[in-house]
Amino acid sequence: MGLIYLAALLVALTGMVMLDRRFTLFFWADARRAAIVMIAGLAFFVTWDLLGIGLGIFFRGETAFMTGLQIAPELPVEELFFLALLVYVTMNLYAAASRIRSLSTSKRTLRQAQGPGEAQGPRQGPGERA
Amino acid sequence: MTYWSLNAFFLAAVALVALAAVLSRRAPRWKALAVAAVALLATTAVFDNVMIGIGLVDYNPDLISGAFVGVAPLEDFAYAIAAVVLLPALWHLLPARRSTASTASGRADTSSRADPSTPSTSSGTGTDNA
Repeated sequence: MGLIYLAALLVALTGMVMLDRRFTLFFWADARRAAIVMIAGLAFFVTWDLLGIGLGIFFRGETAFMTGLQIAPELPVEELFFLALLVYVTMNLYAAASRIRSLSTSKRTLRQAQGPGEAQGPRQGPGERA
Repeated sequence: MTYWSLNAFFLAAVALVALAAVLSRRAPRWKALAVAAVALLATTAVFDNVMIGIGLVDYNPDLISGAFVGVAPLEDFAYAIAAVVLLPALWHLLPARRSTASTASGRADTSSRADPSTPSTSSGTGTDNA
């Protein structure tokens, strides 16, 4: 049973959780909304996968890197973790990019309020304007 | 049905959610979204090439367009595009959590955009199941 791919995905997901916790990006910004986005995103992408598999467009490769456990024909259990990673990376990136934009657009306010370099915005979710 | 035809359905669903977000004045921040999209497409190109290269997934050559980024079919990038539009749009459509002590200072001036009690934005919920 190959655990390499699953382990790699779990390491990457752990990294996303650490970044989220450190920078208040997704679940740490608004756990309820993040949970809904995560579950809806998973449902959306699993449906996409299942239709692609059902139509014979793509299929699981025979490889020693995966556990071989399948949650549906040709849908390896690893795919759930991959899709969770896709959702998490996307929302962390979006939140981080929003943070940079809001810092640059409200520079004057921040500079007045705090010294430069310690300009730390309030806790914000992805894309919320400061 | 080809991979592109399948993707068209799901990208159309994403477009509907994004339209719902725009019409309910809860659009994601497009510049931040574009920054996230560039990063996500770059990581997808790397990750997808590794996944396919080591044989985790394979494709029916008759159902893909034949356009590749390395060994990754161009169609695969539809997942990244869908994620980076759908998930932030969904996030903004969902009402923000109730203010707590830790966010009171940061929440006051976001109310025009994210406060669920604002009448003009209350129609934004419930449209995410496209």
